[in-house]
This record gives sequence, C-alpha cells and structure tokens, in this order.
Amino acid sequence: MATYLLRRAIFGVGTLLVITCFVYGLARNMPGTPLTAQLGEDPSRKLNPEDQERMRRIYGLDKPWYTGYAQWLGNVVRGDLGRSIARKQPVTTLIRERVGPTLLISGTAFLLIWLLAIPLGLYASARSGTADERASSLLLYALYSFPTFVAALFLQVIFSVWLRGTAWELPLFGMTDLPPDAPALARFADIARHMILPVTCQTYVSLAYDSRFIKANMEEVLRQDYIRTARAKGAGPWRVLFRHAFRNTLIPLVTLLGLSLPGLIGGSIIIEQIFTWPGMGRLFFESIRERDYPTIMGLTLMFSVLTLLGQLLADLLYCVVDPRVSVE
Amino acid sequence: MNDVSREDSPPPSPARGFWAEAWRRYRRRPLAMAAVAFVVFLLVVAVFAPAIAGTKPVLCRYKGRIYAPCLGYFDRRLEPAVFAKDRFRGTYPKNLKEKDPDSWAIWPLFFQDPYRTVRADEWPGRPENPARDEGRPSRLNPFGTDQSGVDVLAKMVHGTTVALLVGFVSMGIAGTIGIVIGALGGYFGGWVDMVTSRLTEIVMCIPGLVLILAIIAILEKPTIWHTMAIIGATGWPGIARLTRGEFLRLRSSEFVMAARAAGASPLRIMLRHILPNALAPVLVPITFGIASAILVESSLSFLGFGPPPPTASWGSVLNDARSNHAMWWLVFFPGMAIFLTVLAYNLIGEGLQEATDPRLREARK
Repeated sequence: MATYLLRRAIFGVGTLLVITCFVYGLARNMPGTPLTAQLGEDPSRKLNPEDQERMRRIYGLDKPWYTGYAQWLGNVVRGDLGRSIARKQPVTTLIRERVGPTLLISGTAFLLIWLLAIPLGLYASARSGTADERASSLLLYALYSFPTFVAALFLQVIFSVWLRGTAWELPLFGMTDLPPDAPALARFADIARHMILPVTCQTYVSLAYDSRFIKANMEEVLRQDYIRTARAKGAGPWRVLFRHAFRNTLIPLVTLLGLSLPGLIGGSIIIEQIFTWPGMGRLFFESIRERDYPTIMGLTLMFSVLTLLGQLLADLLYCVVDPRVSVE
Repeated sequence: MNDVSREDSPPPSPARGFWAEAWRRYRRRPLAMAAVAFVVFLLVVAVFAPAIAGTKPVLCRYKGRIYAPCLGYFDRRLEPAVFAKDRFRGTYPKNLKEKDPDSWAIWPLFFQDPYRTVRADEWPGRPENPARDEGRPSRLNPFGTDQSGVDVLAKMVHGTTVALLVGFVSMGIAGTIGIVIGALGGYFGGWVDMVTSRLTEIVMCIPGLVLILAIIAILEKPTIWHTMAIIGATGWPGIARLTRGEFLRLRSSEFVMAARAAGASPLRIMLRHILPNALAPVLVPITFGIASAILVESSLSFLGFGPPPPTASWGSVLNDARSNHAMWWLVFFPGMAIFLTVLAYNLIGEGLQEATDPRLREARK
C-alpha cells in the first residue's frame, strides 16, 4: 500500500511539473502582459516608459519565461502561490474568497444530482421497456444533449424577461443584491433566489448523464447468472434490485464520483460567466483575460492536483467497494 | 468479430461481414436513423448554403457570359472579378438590370445576407431589415434579425459549415492522434506504453477549456481552423485509452500470432490485423467526441472567443443574445440548432454502440 501510494505520488508530481511548466509557458507567451491588459487602450492611463520598465522588473516580467517558472516553482515548494498582479492580493486569499460561492453552486448541484440520479436510474432499470420508462429515458437523453449555455440563456429569457414583475421572476445574474450588512435571513433568501438558475443549469446535464450511466450498469448486472439465482430462490423484485444488483454497480459509480471532484471545487467557467457568479470558474476566465500569471498558475495547480487526487480517490475507493481488486 | 478471415483473401462466403451485420442492426433503430438523416440534411444545407440564403445570384448571365457569383460565399476569390470592376459593391439585383438590361439571374431561395443587413429596395419593393428589438421573426426574416439587422436564418444557414467542419476536422485530428498513441502503447507495451500512458494522463489533467482559451489568446489572428486544431489536439485521451485497451486485448489473440508467425511486420499487424477489429469500439467515442467538439466550439463562440467575423457560427449568434435578453429569437433558433445537432451525434454514437458491441447484442436476443 505504502509503495503504491509513493509511486502514485512520484508520478503525480511529475505530471504536475509538466502541466504547470506547459501552462506557464503558454501564459507568458500570450500577447500583452498584466500591465498592458490592466491599463487597456486608454492613452491617459499609459505609464511612461521608465515606470513601465520598473513595474516589469518588480513583477519579474523582464526575465524569460523559464526563469520566471523556476522562480514560481521555488515559491510554490515553500508554500507561496504568489500575489495576483491585477488584484494586488495573495492568490491563496483570492482562492479562499472564491471557493465558497463555487461550492454553494456545485455542492448543491452535486447533492441534487446524486439524490435524484440514483432513484431515477433504479426506477428506469426496474421499469425497463415500459412506456413511462421509455418516455423518461428519452427526455433525459434529450436533456443530456442540451448545451448548458443554451439552457442558461433560455432560463434567463423566461424567468428574468418574460416573467418580470410576477412572483416567478428570478434574478438575471450576480450572487446577491443586498448590502453585506443586511439581516442574515434576508441575505440567505436572496442568495438562494440567485442560486436557483445556476444550480438548475449545473444539475440537469449531470443528472441526465448519471442516471443513464446507472441504468446502463444495472442492465449489465441484471443479466448475470447470480441475479437469475436470486430470483429463482424467491427474492422479491426490490430485494433483487437493491441487495443483489445495485451493490454490484457501485464500482463504476465510485469512479464517476472521483472524477467529479475537480469540477466540484473548480466550478464551471461557462455557468459562472453567464450568471456572473463570483466563483472559481469566473476567476479563471478573468485571470486569463487580465494575463494575471500568478492567479492562472495557482488555479491550474489547484485544478490539476484535484484531478489527480480524484483519480487516486477513485482507485482507492475501487478497492474498498470491490475486495477482489487490489491496488497493486 | 468474424471478418478476420476476409483480411487477405476475401472468400465468397454467404455470411454477412461484421459491418453489414452492424448496419442491419443499426437500421432497426428509428431514432438513430433519424439522426443520420438530420446530419445528411445539415450536409446538404452546408454545401448548398449560398444557394439557400444569400444576396448573390446562384447563376447569372451578364454581358454575354455566365457567372456564378454565389461561390463568393465560400471564398471571396471565387467571386468573378468583373462585378468588382463594374462597381457592383455586393448589391446585385439592381446593378444587373441597370448595367446590362439583357441579363438574367437565378436567385437563392431566400434573399438575405449572412454578413450584412439588407437595405430598403435592394430587392425591388422590399423594406429594410429591422434591427435591435424590432427584429422579431416575420415573413421576410423567419428567424428574426440581430442587433445590426443581419438575418438570423441566413447566418445560421451559412454557419452550418462551421458546425459540421468543427465536428469532423477536430475529431479527425483527435482520432488520428488517439489511435496512433493508443495503438503504440497497447501493441508494444513496456516503456513505450509507459510513455504514452503518462502523456495521455497529463493531457487529461489539463483543464481543457483553459488550455483552449490560452492557446487562442496566443494566436494573433485565430481562425476557425485554429479552433478545430486545438479541440482536436486536446480531445484525444479518451480515444487513446480505449484503443490501447483494444490493442492490448487483441495483440495476444490467435490471429495476430498467426500473422506474426507468417512474418508480418509490426506495422502491418497493427494496421491490417488489429486495427480493423479494434475500430468499432473506437468509433463510438469518436462520434460522441464530434458532439462535444460542436459544444466546445459553440461555447467558445458564445464566450466571445470564436472565429472572428465575418465567419458565421451558431455560437456567435447566441453571444449577441447575451447583451439583450429581450431578443429571445437570438437564443431560441441557434440554441435549438446546436441542441439538435449534438443530440443527433449522440444518438448516432449510441446506435453504433448498440449495433457493434457484441455484449449488448446478446442481451437483446
């Protein structure tokens, strides 16, 4: 076990090195620097050449990218992700600020997905072939193909434009309209109202995918001999479904669970961008626009670590759910 | 997979080949067939786009010669130079009659331009295209017009090319990379497998959309071809993994051993003996990949990172809708087009899976 973890850790560090080096090189080679992206085209705000040169030196932009990468790497090893150039704050502070809003959306969506997908998938496999199952499966299939950003725009048009002025109106974007000193309960209700549309968008695609995934796995298991045996010895249909079949579909489900880890914290760029939700995905998008190298790198590192951890978690859980599998 | 014997000397056997059998199974699924019909429909629309919607004649006779100015929609250089010389400035109906009374022209089915608004009386008796909130769907603009008065239907007809190309080109690239890398790793094993597997893992770990955004930012003038290449270059890990698994499984099979004993080179074994048998399971993720490539391209255009104008893309119409939510037609029509196309490819992928996967086949019996 220990050697396995050690081997995974060594490979993981290697992977991280390659990814961060690649992304750093890419980021530094994008046209423009944080200084030019920030000041924009406005000539009155242009720095004079000496100031610009001084700023470039302060941020280390005068050195080639590989030197910059070595420096960044050295700081990361010492636990310092650097300071955001555009926002004048440590990257860790930025991430800490943004992770809450993202978790609010993705965590709620995550709960909804798994609370709904398992019953839906089991229902579909229990009633397989009947008219109502086919109708619901077709609907889920269509939902799965429905692009999130189109759904988000549809929902915005319906709930924010057509239903404006009615009780059903929902806010178009943002996280809250209330000032920070408003009573906690009112703030909570307001944030909840703002959450409805983004959470819906983030939930439906995965819900459709996961319930179909569960059904497909169930169908495969339900064909096995031991299911026939269970039926033959007189186990009831629900008992067969839960105790005999469902438990054996847990392995692929666990893998899926592990792979959803990075999305849970990394958030969705598109949804956060459409609903101007102050989360991680939006921070990522903005930092690319602002050429904010430390933030881009901090987020890339975090995202890659989470992806690797998710894969590791999936593999470890695999052994827990299925004693026949060993990590070696 | 009983078509192995066909490889070198096709005997006139009465048994249907693997693909004929798969096609027979595929045909039984009405939804999957409808999806194929829809993709064929899109192909027809893409090929004949200038004849369906445009303001340039499909064919015309001008000063004694026959021209096809509509080809200018495919490439500006294909537009006959004589019209530029005679100062047509893109408006054909009036100029043709004025400068050559004997001229005739076959017009596109639908007189609207994907790149500019149609002015008043450009076509005799037709009003100017409405712009902004006024542009709701009407008889002359069935899908409405955008902020500056450009017809949405014309934009979408011409954007079909992008939607189709994105899917095929990017998955062509991803499929090639994925199959080559997966085949090398799976067939040779050892250190080759070690290197290719690590490479696959690394590409999987890089957040895709971020990588694409960063690369597009680096390019000075990103075109639709760059976008396709990048989607292809990042979309191969899943295909590589699957190909690797198939090659790993098949390399120790009897027919491969027979081929090796007969002295076939590794390249020949991989290409002629293993690949045809590994192709069916690999085609499935490629089809699903086409759907996701279309999604990625349209979401990039939607975020404003799409091909620069005048290239028409469904996603860029949606991007216009973001600034004015009251113009619901800018959301509805392109949104449904993207949805239906993605749905069609997903249905085809699923149909392929059910038709070619022997495990699923046994279950149906």
